Amino acid sequence: MAAWSCRFLLQRGTQLVSLRAAAESPSHLVGCIRTVKTTTWFDEHLTEDNQEYMRKTTAEEYRRQTAEKLNPLKDEPWQRHEWTEGSRRVGLVAVKLGMVPVWSKTGERHVVTMLQVQDCHVIKHLSKEEFDGHTAALVVGGKNVSPFNRSESQMEMFRNAGVPPKQKVTTFKVSDNALIKPGTPLYAAHYRPGQYVDVTAKSIGKGFQGVMKRWGFKGQPATHGQTKTHRRPGASGPGGDPAKVFKGKKMPGRMGNVYVTAHGLKIWRVNTKYNVLYVNGSIPGHKNCLLKVRDSVLPTRASTLLSPPFPTYFTEEDGNLDEDLYDDDYFIHTEPSLTLT
Amino acid sequence: MSSCQTDRTVPPSCGRWATLRLGQIAFQRHFDRHGFRSTCACVCGRSDMAACGKGLDKFMFSLRLLRNLQLQNERFLSTSVCRLAVGGSSEQPPKFTPPSKPVIVDKTQTVASTRSHLSPEFIPPRQRTNPFKFYIERKDMIRRRKVLNIPEFYAGSILAVTMADPNASGKMNRFVGICIQRGGHGLGATFVLRNIIDNQGVEICYELYSPRIQQIEVLKLEKRLDDNLMYLRDALPEYCTVDPDMKPEPISPTGEVPVNKLKVRMRPKPWSKRWERPKFNIQGIRFDRSLTPEQMEHAQKWAQPWREYDMLKEYDTSKLEEQILSEVQREMSK
Amino acid sequence: MALSQLSRSLTGLFVETSSVIHQRTFSVTAVAAAIQKMTRVRVVDNSPLGTTPYHRAPRVIHVYTKNGIGKVGDRVLLAIKGQKKKALIVGHKMPGDRMTPRFDSNNVVLIEDNGNPTGTRIKVPIPTHLRKMDGDYSKVLAIASSFV
Repeated sequence: MAAWSCRFLLQRGTQLVSLRAAAESPSHLVGCIRTVKTTTWFDEHLTEDNQEYMRKTTAEEYRRQTAEKLNPLKDEPWQRHEWTEGSRRVGLVAVKLGMVPVWSKTGERHVVTMLQVQDCHVIKHLSKEEFDGHTAALVVGGKNVSPFNRSESQMEMFRNAGVPPKQKVTTFKVSDNALIKPGTPLYAAHYRPGQYVDVTAKSIGKGFQGVMKRWGFKGQPATHGQTKTHRRPGASGPGGDPAKVFKGKKMPGRMGNVYVTAHGLKIWRVNTKYNVLYVNGSIPGHKNCLLKVRDSVLPTRASTLLSPPFPTYFTEEDGNLDEDLYDDDYFIHTEPSLTLT
Repeated sequence: MSSCQTDRTVPPSCGRWATLRLGQIAFQRHFDRHGFRSTCACVCGRSDMAACGKGLDKFMFSLRLLRNLQLQNERFLSTSVCRLAVGGSSEQPPKFTPPSKPVIVDKTQTVASTRSHLSPEFIPPRQRTNPFKFYIERKDMIRRRKVLNIPEFYAGSILAVTMADPNASGKMNRFVGICIQRGGHGLGATFVLRNIIDNQGVEICYELYSPRIQQIEVLKLEKRLDDNLMYLRDALPEYCTVDPDMKPEPISPTGEVPVNKLKVRMRPKPWSKRWERPKFNIQGIRFDRSLTPEQMEHAQKWAQPWREYDMLKEYDTSKLEEQILSEVQREMSK
Repeated sequence: MALSQLSRSLTGLFVETSSVIHQRTFSVTAVAAAIQKMTRVRVVDNSPLGTTPYHRAPRVIHVYTKNGIGKVGDRVLLAIKGQKKKALIVGHKMPGDRMTPRFDSNNVVLIEDNGNPTGTRIKVPIPTHLRKMDGDYSKVLAIASSFV
């Protein structure tokens, strides 16, 4: 929006200059163009045909890049290590599709959230020194986007990895034996049914809210002589002795739109063809939002992670997986109806 | 539609066709006799050629009758000609072969019923969800439908549902009732059955795709004036009392689903909802029995006549329905 | 045959007229969906306490649950005919889980303090998932006439 208004000013400004150039001094007129940005739009000086050509070639380039990553004849992958207890694998960037019910083999109904892994690639490796001095990290991106609105520094990163630019780029801490070469595609089969994951996403923004909605305060009664005090917070702390309001006091303010993690969600089913994960329960964020999925950090769920694909799932190596992987307790719709005892 | 008409099923009994129109009955009788003759061909030899000719005469007469009465259009003609050809071919071989009847039955099964119908839970709601999500969900729904026969039914139809229940005697629970509501989209679709047992109103909300459901029978297929019959809770009990041992009524696979234009009488107020309000738009209640004209006029105070002109609320699903229907039929026939 | 038809038409007439006449002059609220304190309930067994008419409907005065909402299988304390009596909920108006029945009235069965039913017969259908609740109510289940 800001960019458009800027462009508008530029065009009108020149018109103004041409109209009034004879009458007044140009130095006065330059003052009314407040922002002159150095950046340009990619299609600013392009004709329609050229724009279309650009778009087409970019899409082709994306496809070529994605396909090239799957070519086994390219340069050597990094050295692989064996899975050991306590290793931390890389996570995925996924898109939230929506919720559906599933049934267990005992006839119980559960609800799951469908997450789709779209064009998820490892983009960069950060060594221990580069990251935080404690662990190494991998930068992972998901969901391809247009390259035309990215800054040059961002594009540099994607170009080094040889992948299309991504909408969401995030960092996962990994142990040293789980490093993956940048440019490697990640798939939903990275996770297997029965294991537990943590999902981090930005929750739905609620705007500026009062304490009753934001923190669950009780409010005040509707009647019994209340004047203008029904949903107010009441007191904010003790009076004279501290003579201040303590830091972190729950007050009205912006609610939502912060990163929230749902811990310990079971994976019921993995669709390897369309790269869909069926994760138990609800997950923060709105539909179609991009979120982080990683192995659960809960110590009680560590035992579910027995010999996972390590460091990740490679299609060319263990390629012939079924289209759908199910949890043992999952009712598959091709089975006959349940008879319960 | 006309291609579907040609593959009409051959019914096991004439009773099933009792509801059909005169012309169809006449044709059906003719065909039954014809088929019977063809099975006896090995015994009777050439004698049945005459019968065939006689049958043809009768057949032409019935056609003429049809045309005079304007009962059917050209589609019916094509149907009958096709039928005759099939019957005649089975007659030709000298030694006994099983008649082509099973072939016809096969055809009807693959093309399904002549009335193409899309269950309402297939239609995605209007929202910003990725259509891919509904596609994946539909795949699961079709897989379940291949295992469990989920028939066509509407609010107002009488159903019998058999459900696995670990607490019931025999571990099976059968409930008969009138469907008063269909709800939900995709795999979470539900329907509510209502019946009155021992003067006690009972409702059960079933999940359409739950694996506990063993069988869904349609005992009586019909529609009512409304899509949601929740007002039967406040109606006189005779309107939702269904005999649990009811025999299924024959369902014609062709034509439109019959609409029962029954208008119910209500119990005195209070009702669970104010059904006279315009937002419910209920056609199936005799309001004149329970409300005064003043009350009916008063209810119009909540009318929102501008709603029908709100273009943002328009959601035309006809194109979407066609696409999904063809997809479902393709997948189901696989 | 003719007599039955006549009687039917007569009853139809009666219903039609009665529905017009039946407008009450006082206001009556619908029965509460959830069973909580002060909910009017219907006693469905044949115990003399529940069947004899009384000018005041039985009311729940306490629900023996943590949250104060009674569901199928919960015990409640009733105020019935001027006395306090325990009862077992065997059906309610509030919709429960899917695939479980929902009833048009809040049904209870009177029980003694030790869990034995007071009556000898239950007139209405009982939800089957009452069976998995507890072993204490086997005598209540034994006097039920039908399950749904």
